Amino acid sequence: MASALDPEDDVFESLRKRNPKQDEERAKAAEERLHAQYAKAQQRLGELIGSNSTLPVTISSIHLIGAARTRRSFLDRLFEPILSVNKDRPYTLSEALQEVGNAADKLRRFDIYHDDIAMFIDKPSKTDPSTSVSDIAFSLSAREKSRILMKTGTDLGNAEGSAYGSLLWRNIFGGAESLNLNASAGTRTRSAYQAVFDTPILSDPDKRISVDVLESSTSKAWASHEEALKSGGIKYSWATKSGTRHQLGYTGVWRQVTGLAGNASPTVRNDAGDSVKSSITHTWLADRRNHPFLPSRGYMVKTISEIAGWGPLKGDVAFWKSELETAGAVPIPIPGVAGDSGVSLSAGLRAGMLYPLPVGFGSQSQPSRINDRFQLGGPTDVRGFAMSGLGPRDGPDAVGGDIFAAGSCNLLMPFPRVGKDTPLRFQLFANGGRLLALNNAGEKGNQGSSSVQQSVYSTVAELGNGLPSIAAGCGVVYAHPVARFELNFSLPLVLRKGEEARKGLQFGVGINFL
Amino acid sequence: MPAAVDAPEETLLTSAATSFSQQSTKVKDLFSIPPPLKKLFDKVPVLVYSPNPLPQRTPKSARIPSLYVFSTAKDAAAGRPSFNPTCLKWQVSLDGCGIGRGEETDAQLQTFLNIAGVDHRLISSNNHASPTGVLPFLLPTVHASASFQDSILPIPSNKLVKFATEHGAKVQESPSMRYEAYQSLLDHRIRNAWLYNLYLERENFDAVAYKLYVLPTSTNPFVRASISYDLRIAAEAELLKHAPIIDIDDLYSEADKAFEALSVLLGKDTWFFGGEKPALFDASVFAYTQLLLDESLGWKEEKLCRALRRRDNLVQHRQRLLVKYFGG
Repeated sequence: MASALDPEDDVFESLRKRNPKQDEERAKAAEERLHAQYAKAQQRLGELIGSNSTLPVTISSIHLIGAARTRRSFLDRLFEPILSVNKDRPYTLSEALQEVGNAADKLRRFDIYHDDIAMFIDKPSKTDPSTSVSDIAFSLSAREKSRILMKTGTDLGNAEGSAYGSLLWRNIFGGAESLNLNASAGTRTRSAYQAVFDTPILSDPDKRISVDVLESSTSKAWASHEEALKSGGIKYSWATKSGTRHQLGYTGVWRQVTGLAGNASPTVRNDAGDSVKSSITHTWLADRRNHPFLPSRGYMVKTISEIAGWGPLKGDVAFWKSELETAGAVPIPIPGVAGDSGVSLSAGLRAGMLYPLPVGFGSQSQPSRINDRFQLGGPTDVRGFAMSGLGPRDGPDAVGGDIFAAGSCNLLMPFPRVGKDTPLRFQLFANGGRLLALNNAGEKGNQGSSSVQQSVYSTVAELGNGLPSIAAGCGVVYAHPVARFELNFSLPLVLRKGEEARKGLQFGVGINFL
Repeated sequence: MPAAVDAPEETLLTSAATSFSQQSTKVKDLFSIPPPLKKLFDKVPVLVYSPNPLPQRTPKSARIPSLYVFSTAKDAAAGRPSFNPTCLKWQVSLDGCGIGRGEETDAQLQTFLNIAGVDHRLISSNNHASPTGVLPFLLPTVHASASFQDSILPIPSNKLVKFATEHGAKVQESPSMRYEAYQSLLDHRIRNAWLYNLYLERENFDAVAYKLYVLPTSTNPFVRASISYDLRIAAEAELLKHAPIIDIDDLYSEADKAFEALSVLLGKDTWFFGGEKPALFDASVFAYTQLLLDESLGWKEEKLCRALRRRDNLVQHRQRLLVKYFGG
């Protein structure tokens, strides 16, 4: 009896004492089988499509499943043009897939659906008398992202710590419109409240209009004051076929230079108070680098042009401001190392000019104020100098300049053991720049157009007078997915009296380094 | 010898100090720059050029102190009276009357003469520029010998007398109870009526205050409207500090009484308190009488002006000061 029961016991026993190793192996095998099946199915589908790629088809319908809160008219603009009813010739199968794929990609970019948009192809039901033989029907399945997203957090940046709270309301009217409310408080930006309404135009994710209002108060310790802003603006941004981006916008901003430090300089005291800037800005960006923070090849060009206060723009300040920003990188092959060595040379150049203009339709130009002038220096632009450490200084204050040029050259090398695939590099750098205020070339008090032109010319000429202020050094670069971190040891080589250089270590965090 | 008695204790103290200093040097060593690095740091920068010139809007550096007041750029350049009573008071005082001069002829007095007597320049400004949030304030000159990074600290109006005294001036102020009582008449009754008269009388605000305080801030109508609103709210809050409600008739009648009291105080004298020269109190009175009697300001509601005009000797007092310091 007992012996008869034994084998059964064994079975129970073996069931009870499950071997985890065996289980794992089994699970693995099952998974592999599934994968193999899936891959085979994919391959079969691929072959099927491949062999039928020139099959003439007509798209009879496109269904979007799971877009309950998206407006029909908004989707119509996206899908109607690719329906065969609106085309004069039939698609080939691959073309049809391409078109619908593009539309799905656009859907993804509206930021209202999760990224896993799936596409199905079906033959329409034969019972429908309106169908033709070549008809195929597409259905896309998407999952809408939650309508409201709230976030709170803390940021640590360039000598600045801040806490923020934000609310994002997606797809407000069912057309991928969004409203972003943001409030933050920090050590440098004392407080900031911002609301941005953004909407794509004609269901095109590359054409957007946004309207924003902002109220903020920022401490500008390098010039002993606080700047309070209240602004409103509207921006239109679009992308060209070649991949460059444009943005055209109008901004009206009420600035207040206030909360002066006890030892603020006469220059800052003179600019204290209110001013209104009413300006139109155009930004153009072509970024063809292989990595935004740690590129090893490619180039980037950005221009910013702004006209303020002139003619019908009115306001209290008037100027034309142009800024150019370029960066480029080339990989350097090391003899004896096959493939990409990870060593690269990158260089950047920035320049800008503020050209004073008469306010409205007047004839006398207005010299620039501290809030409009450029600032230069700091760990993210000209390394080895303090924040706004370059340029004219009145006592303790960096009062900014109207014309600047700065350049940088960095040699990036991977660390020996760590390898080139990590986002960690050792860098040798040399950078320099000059920041100059327009000089008083004309007679005193005369701000006629010819005298302004004369002083701009002579100031530009002054840029080339002597060596620029230069610093050089070495350091470690780490490209985190959200920002680039640098820890550098730098030494100033050339500078102007009063310019604030940093000898020794300097830490920088940013997304846009020179 | 007392030193001998103290000797053991002293040694103790010294040894304690040594061990402390040893410790602190250790800590310092941790943060100090190692010598080879220090040598390197001393070698840079290799080349230092002359400083960058300052922007065009930077005020021309002057060898005399600057008094920042409410004024228009043109009036400030011409030294005309400010349109703000507090600014005007100190403007007049520095012009030489309020703060009497001592007899000393030393260098300190020279410095002081610069501000109290003759030389100071006016700069048209606004409250944002001030360290205390209100005008006026005085920015002393920076000495040529001062280093590049040296900064100059502004002197707010409530420290002006102290500053002047420190620089050797003899301040003619009778610290009597009587003086203080009359000063409080100005600081409360007349000032309150003035605030109401300027900011809360709608017609006067539009005709006078708007023109003087709002128009220069910005050309933008929204900014102007916002600043106007803030000014009126601030004036109202200031008045409500002294009384639970704003009783207009009471404000004006109190001011009328105050003018009467001042008129009696002045009597047939040339200056207040029988002084030989105008003093700080004369400047305080002038600050209001000048503005109320200045027809170019264009007052629309003249209740307060009429109350003043009835006091003939105060009108003449204003005239005397105007002639003396602003050439009529």
